[in-house]
Amino acid sequence: MSHAPFPYEPFALHGQELRDAVVRYASNPLYLDNEEWQNSDNPYRRQLRPQVLRHLDFDRVPGRDEILDYSSLAVQRLLTSIYEADLVFLPKNGLQGEGRWEDFKRFYSPTNRVLGEMIRPALERYAFGFLDDEIETSGTWTAESLESYLESLNAHEAAGPSLSEKAISNSTDRERAARMWLIQFIPDFLSEASPMIRNVLGYYGAPQSEWFKIIIDEYGYGVHDTKHSRLFERTLESAGLETDVHRYWQYYLNSSLLMNNYFHYLGKNHELFFRYVGALYYTEATLVDFCRRATALLKDVFGDRADTQYFTEHVHIDQHHGRMALEKLIRPLVAEHGEQIIPEIVRGIEEYRRIQEIADEDFATQIAWMDNGPEFKKLHAPVWDALSSGRVTAPVADIVEPYGELSNTHCHDGDELCHIVSGTMKFVSGFDSHQILEAGEGTVIQRNRLHGAIIESEECVYQIHSVGDYKKCMS
Amino acid sequence: MHVVTFSVAGRNNCAVIAGEPYVYARTDEGSFVMRARCPHRGGPLHLAELAPEGNRLVCPWHERKTSLTRLRQEIPAVRSGDTVTAVFPGLPDAEVCTGHRPLSADLAG
Ligand code: FES
Ligand SMILES: [Fe+2]
Ligand SMILES: [Fe+2]
Ligand SMILES: [Fe+2]
Repeated sequence: MSHAPFPYEPFALHGQELRDAVVRYASNPLYLDNEEWQNSDNPYRRQLRPQVLRHLDFDRVPGRDEILDYSSLAVQRLLTSIYEADLVFLPKNGLQGEGRWEDFKRFYSPTNRVLGEMIRPALERYAFGFLDDEIETSGTWTAESLESYLESLNAHEAAGPSLSEKAISNSTDRERAARMWLIQFIPDFLSEASPMIRNVLGYYGAPQSEWFKIIIDEYGYGVHDTKHSRLFERTLESAGLETDVHRYWQYYLNSSLLMNNYFHYLGKNHELFFRYVGALYYTEATLVDFCRRATALLKDVFGDRADTQYFTEHVHIDQHHGRMALEKLIRPLVAEHGEQIIPEIVRGIEEYRRIQEIADEDFATQIAWMDNGPEFKKLHAPVWDALSSGRVTAPVADIVEPYGELSNTHCHDGDELCHIVSGTMKFVSGFDSHQILEAGEGTVIQRNRLHGAIIESEECVYQIHSVGDYKKCMS
Repeated sequence: MHVVTFSVAGRNNCAVIAGEPYVYARTDEGSFVMRARCPHRGGPLHLAELAPEGNRLVCPWHERKTSLTRLRQEIPAVRSGDTVTAVFPGLPDAEVCTGHRPLSADLAG
């Protein structure tokens, strides 16, 4: 017997080594801060705020209550960028000009790919590890109990409006809220079915061809105008949005990226293949009613202007996809590979439902945060009062920034008070949503809420007080 | 079969199918849905403690031991956060309800 020439051990980065590797990956010029709110026709530019990454600890598994904190947002942005190095993106207006050719080469370079792959397992543990605590299967699952369980999900049945849909319907600015909503789907819908296609590579028998049929539908049978991504482009255009990939990168919520990355995670790591099969069934089946509701909502908000063909097409085709996932994938796979795969299928379904719940809540809260911008601005007075009188003490950072300085969007792990000492700041709380803050004014920044800022005066001096929970300043 | 979603702890931590109660138990060996009634004379298995050698529950009534391995395998279930969905055997017209059963320290995690 020959000896292994090298000890075969699991590959893992930890501690400082991991942090350095993350910063190294994100220091690619593609990932530096933008001076604009939007990327323009450059699918390779993704703001990862590398300057902050060295202060974060990715060598752990955050719990459900931390999953919307900044470190998680940073991880979801990193993972989006890493997963998408497998996908082909080209600018709509060609690669010539504005450094796009250089960016194209940087994004698809071996360096970007390898550095991303090295940190991916650790980042995936950080991003999805909480699901190990949240979802747990037990007992002996049989084909029969699986059928009963699937039936009990009522995945095909009409459901009431989600929190997000209600937030849009009741928003003080429904069009803005609906645009913010459509933006959240861009990472998923413009490269629609790409994570799924990861599962049809290889050689695994009849289910492979069955899965391929779903993809044929998603790709519009090779007729570009009917490709689902093309339908969604028209929806975006009809709502007054642009369709170049990741133009709105800075407006993606943590949980929207979590949802999209989840499918890449399952598709990229084939030991999770059966989880993907479960999640596929549940998405396809529930998408039917979701798309029905989405059509009505968009028509309600934008009137006849809204092009909802993307959604009406799915109301139809996903009835088939849900059925195909069950009859042509789940059942044959269980018959072929045994009941041991069932817990994985169930887990995929439940994990997806969990993430959907998180995303729904996150989006609805963000709309409330955008809508209540003037209220949060007013809260500056009592909170500032509590701080300046010394009644409440909190760590403070003093910041001076020049005209045009743009704080790329981010969030904080607790409530903060932004207090303007001199100058003018445009405080941005979501797509098309801002407050102007002058000297002596400010705003409460709610925990986990996405925001950014740009300086509109020659210089702006301001303070950030990390109050934790702003309510303790109210009395 | 009956698919029931109930709480993993506190109020409604028990599903009763045709009079047969089941609880969600957490042990060092893992968490699972188990029958709450001892197969011997119907003693409170949910109050049972682990035998010193582990891996078996000792019924508080006549101290009969039930294998944890067997119990764990019986009911297929999936926990999501604070609720668990389990697939129980039983005729379609059986009565299904939820309720509460206290758990022994060994089963409460
Ligand atoms: S009832 Fe449990 S041992 Fe008798
Ligand atoms: Fe589709
Ligand atoms: Fe589909
Ligand atoms: Fe901030």
